[in-house]
Amino acid sequence: MLKARRLGALLAALVLGPGGVAAQAPWRSITIDERLAAAAGLTVGDRAVLATGAGAPGDSVIVAGITRRGADPSEIARSEFRVRLHLDHLQALTGVGDRVGRFAVATAPAAASVDSAAARINALAFGFRAYRAADVAIETSATFRVVNRFHRAIGVITIVASAIFLLCITLLKVDERRRDVGALRLLGISRGTIVRAVVLEAALISVVGSLMGAALGYGASALVNWHYQGVYSTPLRFAIVTPGIVAFATLLSLTLGVVAGLLAAQRLVRQPPLELVGR
Amino acid sequence: MMLRLAITGLLRRRTRTALTTAGVAVAAAMLLDMVMLGSGMRESFRGFLEQQDYQLRMSPRGTMPFDTEATVGGAAALVARVMADPDVEAVAPVLGGKLFVTRGDSVVAAFALGVDPALQADYVLVEGRDIAAPNETVWNGAMLEAAGRAVGDTVRAAAGYDPQLRRYTGARELVIVGRGRFVMLSGGELAAALPLATAQGMQADRADRISVALVRLRAGASADSVASRLELAEPRMSAISTEAALRFVDERLGYFRQLALILASVSLAVGFLLVTTLVTVSVNERIGEIAVLRAIGVAKWRVVAQVLVEGVALSLVGATLGLGLGLITARWLNGILAAFPGLPAAFDFFLFEPSAAFRSLGLLVLCGILAGLWPAWRAASLPIAKTLREEAVA
Repeated sequence: MLKARRLGALLAALVLGPGGVAAQAPWRSITIDERLAAAAGLTVGDRAVLATGAGAPGDSVIVAGITRRGADPSEIARSEFRVRLHLDHLQALTGVGDRVGRFAVATAPAAASVDSAAARINALAFGFRAYRAADVAIETSATFRVVNRFHRAIGVITIVASAIFLLCITLLKVDERRRDVGALRLLGISRGTIVRAVVLEAALISVVGSLMGAALGYGASALVNWHYQGVYSTPLRFAIVTPGIVAFATLLSLTLGVVAGLLAAQRLVRQPPLELVGR
Repeated sequence: MMLRLAITGLLRRRTRTALTTAGVAVAAAMLLDMVMLGSGMRESFRGFLEQQDYQLRMSPRGTMPFDTEATVGGAAALVARVMADPDVEAVAPVLGGKLFVTRGDSVVAAFALGVDPALQADYVLVEGRDIAAPNETVWNGAMLEAAGRAVGDTVRAAAGYDPQLRRYTGARELVIVGRGRFVMLSGGELAAALPLATAQGMQADRADRISVALVRLRAGASADSVASRLELAEPRMSAISTEAALRFVDERLGYFRQLALILASVSLAVGFLLVTTLVTVSVNERIGEIAVLRAIGVAKWRVVAQVLVEGVALSLVGATLGLGLGLITARWLNGILAAFPGLPAAFDFFLFEPSAAFRSLGLLVLCGILAGLWPAWRAASLPIAKTLREEAVA
């Protein structure tokens, strides 16, 4: 059996005007979002008139609280102001009667399955459709899923560019030491030792570079979050550097570094030592 | 001669040159993509708006067209008042709503537009004919497919559903007379157009109401001044010019422009670093050669020019390859962003504008020149005798 806590929600477009109309008792309370508070210059305790349209008769209300947007991706690009009022108040104000736009249903902790609960509600209430919160979240975060795929694609291009860059730099660095390598080979140092030394150096550079990159990434993500949280007035975090991401980046960089070092070193040790020293 | 020497110098280390060129090509491709992304969204949206050939859009005060379900009443009088403005040539009223059609046991819901067929700019007819009678409708391909109908069919459609009475409201028999491409709707969105009076009549609370009025101005009229005038005359409405709508799009999709700017800067920096590194190493390797050239009387500027030509050649070849690569990756990225919700199906995030593309690639080549400048000057300024002695000892 479903033990449900029902939350009705009705959405409507309202107009907020300055207070000061004839006294009414008791004054109903509303909450407004901080963007509206800033734009209309309202603070907690202020009075205002709520109406369904410009010039329409409205209700005098008192601002009981100022809300901040939740971390909801679907809200990110929406610029409307938000006013929250009691359900019966909105129903009376808009004249829609005993109607709601949607219900939020909390299932009992022991409920076997949200799916079966949704199926029972759908069978019970003709004309409604129950969705799992997870499905609604997926639907409303479609924008972010597209952006996420776009970021991944950009990431692939960046990895290709980094790989070429790293290979190029390693090749140049190894080439710069042609004479040193030639001299070492003439002194009897084996090809394998030289290859291992070059690969080790490339690996060390990759790891140190990755750690510096991770630090830079932490700084950049903090900057990105600070900027976009301000732009969109949301606590949503836009960039997160997780240990998994750092580990992936380090491993990728290490692999690229080792491969680049190996290729460059192999190329070098194949040449005769005298040619390497310029004779 | 100078070019030949530069090419010979680059070909001496083929792998290195190939890798640097590839690196510059990827950087150029990314730069091109980001330039296309930066301007593409705005210009693509401008194209959609201008294609409609209406310079102003009037929507309920404080809302953007179809951004909310808000409507305004007294539509006929409102349209007449707007038409009375001397700078207004035509007004196309539009009412947005829902259209429900049954298919077997299921219901197909579509976005419905009540339009004046003679003035509408919301769809382009691709099959059949346009609406000519009150009971006629034009659907898009997605709607025809979802409802399992074809042009010529007669359907029973409703404008609403009353869950308390458990019945559809405002049901009408409609004849599908055409298939249209709805220019401002996203790819899979189901859509239907029907005469404005029919759409208004299908729901009791929509009588004489509209969601948007498209306003066409006479030639030479200023959109901003007419918009201000109309807003003053119609306090219930916001009049939005194409530029204002573009500013709104900029605000909504500003993230992509900022990302484009950051990545374009990073691409330029990467290209610059690559060319600088290669030219510096290449010059360091040839210090002896350069000293000999200077010793036999080759002027300093010729040495500098030759090194610069190497940097420019690398950048030019890389930029040319990057142009092709950039167009391919732009297509790929555009395919990913095509799924962006709420945007027209034909919306292009990446728009190729030759002037912008060549300007950005020119900037990359300029970076190549700057990248070679310092190592070239340093090499040409080395003391000849000392360098020759050191090179001989080495």
